[in-house]
Amino acid sequence: MAVNELLAQLHEVASSPRKQLDKYLAQGRKVVAVAPVYTPQEIIHSMGLVPMGVWGADMEINEAKKYYPAFICSVMQTILELGIKGEYQGVSAIVIPSLCDSLKTLGQNWKYAVKGIPFIPMSYPQNRKPAYGIKFTKAGYERVISDLTVATGAYFSEPALADSIRVYNEHNAVMREFAEIAADAELTAAQRSDVFKSAWFMLPEEHTEIVKQLNEELKAGPKAEGKVRVLVSGILADSPSLLKVLDDNGIKVVFDDVANESRQYRTDVPEMENPVDALAQKFADMDNCTLLYDRDKKRVDYIIDQAKSHGAQGVIVLMTKFCDPEEFDYVPIKRACEAAGLMNLNIEVDRQMVNYEQANTMIQAFKEMF
Amino acid sequence: MYTLGIDIGSTTSKAVILKDGQEVMASSIVVATVGTDGVSRAIEEVLKESGLARETLDCVVATGYGRQTYEGADYQVSELSCHALGVHHLCPEARTVIDIGGQDAKVLSLNDQGRMVNFVMNDKCAAGTGRFLDVMANILKLDISCLEVEAAKAEKPAGISSTCTVFAESEVISQLAAGTGIPDLVAGICQSVATRVASLARRVGIKEQVAMSGGVARNAGVRDAMEKELGVTIRYHPMAQLMGALGAALYGFQKCR
Amino acid sequence: MAEEVKKSRPAPDPNSAKYKLGQIAAKAYSDAMEAKKRGEKIGWCASNFPVEIPETLGLYVCYPENQAAGIAARGGGERMCNISEGEGYSNDICAYARISLAYAKVKEAPEQDMPQPDFLLCCNNICNCMIKWYENIAKELDIPMIMIDIPFNPDYEVSDAETEYIRAQFLDAIRQLEEITGKKWSEERFKEVMESSGRASRMWIEATSQAKYVPSPFNGFDLLNHMAVMVTARGKKEAGDAMETLLKEYKENHEKGVSTFRAEEKYRIMFEGIACWPWLRATSTGLKSRGINMVTTIYADAFGFIYDDFDGMCRAYADVPNCMNLEKSRDKRVRLCKDNHVEGLLVHTNRSCKLWSGFMPEMSRQIGEACGIPVTSFDGDQADPRNFSEAQYDTRVQGLMEIMEANKGGK
Repeated sequence: MAVNELLAQLHEVASSPRKQLDKYLAQGRKVVAVAPVYTPQEIIHSMGLVPMGVWGADMEINEAKKYYPAFICSVMQTILELGIKGEYQGVSAIVIPSLCDSLKTLGQNWKYAVKGIPFIPMSYPQNRKPAYGIKFTKAGYERVISDLTVATGAYFSEPALADSIRVYNEHNAVMREFAEIAADAELTAAQRSDVFKSAWFMLPEEHTEIVKQLNEELKAGPKAEGKVRVLVSGILADSPSLLKVLDDNGIKVVFDDVANESRQYRTDVPEMENPVDALAQKFADMDNCTLLYDRDKKRVDYIIDQAKSHGAQGVIVLMTKFCDPEEFDYVPIKRACEAAGLMNLNIEVDRQMVNYEQANTMIQAFKEMF
Repeated sequence: MYTLGIDIGSTTSKAVILKDGQEVMASSIVVATVGTDGVSRAIEEVLKESGLARETLDCVVATGYGRQTYEGADYQVSELSCHALGVHHLCPEARTVIDIGGQDAKVLSLNDQGRMVNFVMNDKCAAGTGRFLDVMANILKLDISCLEVEAAKAEKPAGISSTCTVFAESEVISQLAAGTGIPDLVAGICQSVATRVASLARRVGIKEQVAMSGGVARNAGVRDAMEKELGVTIRYHPMAQLMGALGAALYGFQKCR
Repeated sequence: MAEEVKKSRPAPDPNSAKYKLGQIAAKAYSDAMEAKKRGEKIGWCASNFPVEIPETLGLYVCYPENQAAGIAARGGGERMCNISEGEGYSNDICAYARISLAYAKVKEAPEQDMPQPDFLLCCNNICNCMIKWYENIAKELDIPMIMIDIPFNPDYEVSDAETEYIRAQFLDAIRQLEEITGKKWSEERFKEVMESSGRASRMWIEATSQAKYVPSPFNGFDLLNHMAVMVTARGKKEAGDAMETLLKEYKENHEKGVSTFRAEEKYRIMFEGIACWPWLRATSTGLKSRGINMVTTIYADAFGFIYDDFDGMCRAYADVPNCMNLEKSRDKRVRLCKDNHVEGLLVHTNRSCKLWSGFMPEMSRQIGEACGIPVTSFDGDQADPRNFSEAQYDTRVQGLMEIMEANKGGK
């Protein structure tokens, strides 16, 4: 298939998750919603269930205001809003990790605000690397498995998990390869985003097949030229209006540190005898994320290294308003960029933005500085 | 060579005609909301003042909030770059530019060549922008241009602590009800804007000289408060409000030269 | 956690609980200052870190949350917040953290100084914001950070897996601290500390429960000040002594029919959330002038660190407010409301605290229903004075009062 057809296919999926949900439900599959930022999708998949990401939507908040004060990020607000409005109807359960304070409250509100979709908590340890931390991760997985069985009637088996781990590891590799190819290929920011976003609404094996083909086509295709190369960091970077601003201003996303995008695919599940142990080891191995305890702020060095190795001229931080973990990390990131001679820009974003004029002015001025 | 710079702001349109990238031939300021005929009136006025016909202009550059929807320009440039250019032209020693506009506040950092090397803008909150002053002036039933005069009369500036515009509104009303005088309230409001913008300025790093541009720069109340907040002298050019338009005209000259 | 600014008054009685408690809180700072001068290593410690660990090891620690509250109550909150905002920190970040980050940079605040840290003791059983805040200070000052992770508990009881995870971390923290400071853990000393902490906790709970009497023998705003000792010194013997005095005073007050609430107690409410430190006077006067006594808060229950052994301690630290699910948080408050004959609930929607405010609307609705009492909320902040409106507060409190009044009439 040609590049454009593949991209159109992914765009369609990225922009209509409800259609995907209905498609899987029509196939007789059970779907489990997975909240930001990390959940054991491998386990859900191995039980024959379809994990689908929920990261909220660009929309007005009405119903969720009954539960949330205004200063909780719009990702949580709109997930709850969609839940209350019945947009997730048909979903068998939602898995919500407690990786930030607002996520902790999402689970609690969910129990009362959204009827019919049970909340399954996933408690991850912050001290995830020592043996006792890994053991606690495992206990969290076991809890998810038993709750999933109750919610869906599906059963867990270790061999099935081993199979799913292979599927996810392959998807990770394909997504990492895509990110590298996309750094130079002629591809808009909007198209790049579609590739990442669609992954949340498809079975990984289906997504892998399409992205594999896309990678081959893009490798052979034309290269982007005359653009300002940037690394984008943040929780989300999927707002069509914002992506258009980037594209209109000739900004090329050469790499990302976006929670909804590359952060998902950095770490593979290692080869180990017991697949649950292996999956717990994966969480222990994960790093460079604002939600994972990081005394040395390795994430900051990681951003700078990636920006340099991908030939980025600047770093654009898309700051999800009221995301305090990211707001804390911004100061060291800003300082590190200044020290490394990388231009940096902090643009506050939320899912209720209708006016992108200020963002446009900032990005245009950013480009004019080169 | 004649170049025209137009700065289409959210509440005013400004125009400057520049001769050979040096001499300001004429300028105009029209108070009118973006999207109205403010731009064409500003252009009409500036042409009239300069005695030039539109056809004689070598280049027209638009900047400001309405730059992208305006169709009569050869180029459109962000107001950040234009303010940097304009200030550098009139105050070559300036290394930091603070611009408080109607919708946003920005702080620019310039290098020795006058090139903008960094900037920050206010976040989503209206505190520290011209909008905040507008709302407050409205409550006090004052024209925005009177704020400066009132602030100068203050004896004991009132403390306006809320950053939220809605809260600050109720704070101002309660103080009014409690008998605080208008000058003290106005001085407090100016102080509040200055404190907010000063935080922004520290993020870029203050390098002297510091210049203010934009409409709010005319307000000595805010300027004085900013000086105290930052502990530096702030330069203010009488053409402060026209810096964006001037920068646009300079940009046009660079492009056509 | 900080003294409300008051007009000059006669010197307090040195045998009074208020004096003793004030002394303990002040001594915590001066002891740490002196230890620092002697060259000892000083820690900055999260308020709900297992204080038994530094106390047993004989370490001197300071509490940035306590300091931030003190700075805010004495009018320095805005200045300090502006400093960290100037560094690039968003004004949406917790104001305690903003004040603390500013202090780590400028290293002085006339409102409340404390020595600079040589290590950090972080515990996220109150919020994950703690982690980011301490990460940034650890990186900035290049000092070790001991991280005890107590995950938010989605269940009613603390699971064995969580207890085991916490125990392993406590042991790890002790080992790391022995290495950093050269001090040694002693089981014997731990037993003493455990007993002190238990005694202080029992006395605190009993003292605060004296609000069961109508009128209450104390003004609930007292608790906001006295709890500083429970935060910083609950492992010390003097804390138990002072709390015992407090209990004795409250009992005597009841017998004599007097109260530290210096007005006629017409209404009794529960206050929810951290105090609005920069506006303590305004928030307290707004109640007192209407004869509303805040008789209880979740703090009355929060420092119940009563346990028999190391595992019990691990469980106790997972069973604190902000670490509990909605149902358990609700039930504890419902019990406080019922035990203390509460007629209304006033909720501080605290812009600094996403966790505390994030499920408060739903929980306070449930409390209101369970207790048949009106609920109202106001916007404020624990330390940033810019997020509070006195006019809004007054209107809301008056509204609450009018409903309580109507409820009385109907009975």
